[in-house]
Amino acid sequence: MGVAIRRSVGLAGLAGRSAHTLRPCIAIASLPSPLNQQYSAPSRPPPNYPGHVPLNRLEKAALAIGSGLMSLRDPRRGDLIAAFAEATATPYFIYRLQDAMLASPTGRRILRDRPRITSTSLNLPYLRALAPNTVGRTYIDWLDREGVSPDTRAAVRYIDDAECAYVMQRYRECHDFYHALTGLPVVREGEVALKAFEFANTLLPMTGLSVFAAATLKAPERRRFVGTYLPWAVRNGLRAREVINVYWEEELETDVDELRRRLGVEAPPDLRAIRKAEREERRRKAAEGGV
Amino acid sequence: MDSIIRRRTAAYVCRSCIQRTRNHIQQRAYSRAAQPDIYDVVCVGGGPAGLSLLTALRANPVTSHFRIALVEAQDLSKMQSWKLPPDRFSNRCSSLTPSSALFLDKIGAWDHLARDRVQPYHEMQVWDGVSDARIEFDWAPDAAPSADTTIAYMTENLNLTSGLLKRLAQLGGVSVFDSARVEKISLGEQTEAQDLREWPVVNLAGGRQLFARLLVGADGADSPVRSFAGIEARGWDYGRHGVVATLELQGEGWGGDQMKTAYQRFLPTGPVAMLPLPGNYSTLVWSTTPENASLLKRLPTKDFVALVNAAFRLRPTDLEFMHTQSKGQAEEYSWRMEHTPSHGKLIPQVVTGVQEGTIASFPLKMRHADTYIGERVALVGDAAHTIHPLAGQGLNQGQGDVQSLAKIIEYAVNHGQDIGARLSLEPYLAERYATNHVLMGVCDKLHKLYSVGSGPLVPLRSLGLNAVNVLGPLKKFVMSQAAGHGIKVF
Repeated sequence: MGVAIRRSVGLAGLAGRSAHTLRPCIAIASLPSPLNQQYSAPSRPPPNYPGHVPLNRLEKAALAIGSGLMSLRDPRRGDLIAAFAEATATPYFIYRLQDAMLASPTGRRILRDRPRITSTSLNLPYLRALAPNTVGRTYIDWLDREGVSPDTRAAVRYIDDAECAYVMQRYRECHDFYHALTGLPVVREGEVALKAFEFANTLLPMTGLSVFAAATLKAPERRRFVGTYLPWAVRNGLRAREVINVYWEEELETDVDELRRRLGVEAPPDLRAIRKAEREERRRKAAEGGV
Repeated sequence: MDSIIRRRTAAYVCRSCIQRTRNHIQQRAYSRAAQPDIYDVVCVGGGPAGLSLLTALRANPVTSHFRIALVEAQDLSKMQSWKLPPDRFSNRCSSLTPSSALFLDKIGAWDHLARDRVQPYHEMQVWDGVSDARIEFDWAPDAAPSADTTIAYMTENLNLTSGLLKRLAQLGGVSVFDSARVEKISLGEQTEAQDLREWPVVNLAGGRQLFARLLVGADGADSPVRSFAGIEARGWDYGRHGVVATLELQGEGWGGDQMKTAYQRFLPTGPVAMLPLPGNYSTLVWSTTPENASLLKRLPTKDFVALVNAAFRLRPTDLEFMHTQSKGQAEEYSWRMEHTPSHGKLIPQVVTGVQEGTIASFPLKMRHADTYIGERVALVGDAAHTIHPLAGQGLNQGQGDVQSLAKIIEYAVNHGQDIGARLSLEPYLAERYATNHVLMGVCDKLHKLYSVGSGPLVPLRSLGLNAVNVLGPLKKFVMSQAAGHGIKVF
């Protein structure tokens, strides 16, 4: 991306400056501000929160196209997927998600408290000691099984409104909880199925566009996705309550089936078990064939 | 007759029978002399419309010879002597357009209003609560405020009626029947002297009967005169209540005391308007659902003030949530304000207090009578039409009706016509019906258009609003139509 992005250094919070939204307002069309995004690189406004990088419309569009294409080529580039999510979240979608949080009493509490999910904020040994079918235990078992840690989430940079930036950050950090809730594994097939579910539930464009990564799956995986997991994702994503409004820190000791029932989510067929069975079937056939 | 009987019969009839006959004749003589109390105009209803009409008739030399009666259920002497201290304002206020004010001046009532309680305003900010699309009404954006650039005059309804009553008392010549209940309106009878079978009779409690050459119904939305005339009023209820209150603001307005601004924001539940009064007071008119209205009336002052401030600043989702809380809106409001961008001077100043006892609500509906005239009957004001308050046109429509009816009555007198005949009243119907109908239709469609909270209609209507805002001639057309001095389209 040949666009020079000037990183602002040391401007912490700027508490005195009110947060900006991107709603159209004719009266202030002449000022260079994130509100109208008409500014050029030399006249970039100061950041709204630590790590904020204000981009104008052209830069955001370029970032969206570039990161979208490159993350399709290499889906393990989490940073590109994160940038793609932020560049495509405005104008409408992140505000819709913010409204969904503000409409729910729990969502409002999350926005007030602004909890973060990191390996330091969650007490991992405590989670391991929880009873087997609790949310917390399922989560830590899934983390251990897939070999991931809660710290692998990038900080939000390209969303201008500070509260919307938190909403995106919260979505990103809860992604692993969604894996634990649904039981889908980290492999490409599982990620694509979970993204389809997230799109039906949160309506973030990145999640919807990630479903096109199904084109890069192997043929039997694609068939399984289209036949089983995509219908499951759409059906459950639409009928479930907004998963962004789940206060995970308070639900750690809840029974995971009870949480699924409360949210309206049914567990899909266990993908790891299916893949393992298929692998063993292939190995058996190969062994028989060889003999 | 009496002397004839005495002379002719005195010799043949006894004294007591003569006396009895004499009494009988005297009684018949009384019944013949008991003439019906006929007035040229009987006006039922002493509100702004009725009082304006009578003042106009009395002030005009052509019609000032009329025998006029005013019937009103309330005590008019109390209304005439109404007075409040300068820091207290009644919660029922109306926005008088310049053409209404001109008419009131023409009939001589404008000077009798307490002018220090009337607030002219020169700017209006109207915006969409969902998309923030905005339209700014201002006759001369950069000029100093003057009488020519006034958009409207905010007046308390009681100030207006008090001024009209004072002018009417000054003119005299009106038989006032106040604190009078109308028991029945019927038609007269045929007697030897006259045939009053087509003349309306207002029967007051206590036996008084007023015969009317022309009966004017200015008696409000549930008009008995209208039902007497057999005229139906058709329309619908909006399922909304208008909450009114007198508010105290942080200051006298962004432009100071000389340059006041009216504000209106369209929320999905209905428009919320803050209209300026003298000093740092304003009147609130918030059209919202009945549940929200009853919550607003129940809240402690601190939370009510926070909810009113939120109505002009926070997004509809926040407002919806705050309406589900039974208390604690003040704290919720201060948290949300930390995360809401500032609109600067485009929104009203912060409300700091509410005048005690002024929070009230009334149901909103739209009604239009099938016709404004009947045989010796004419309807003016709310008796003829009820409108949504979002454009501040209701009282002005009534004043427009009165102006028209007074002119038509003058014409009828000048041409020797019977003022109560349908032929004479027909021009009034022709002049006012279509105009009122279109205005009510436009306000109704605006209400319906802005009731939509999401979907494709929101950007479409925002585009339309922004377009009208930048198209100068179109905006001037809308403003002059609302002010009442635009081209007569219908």
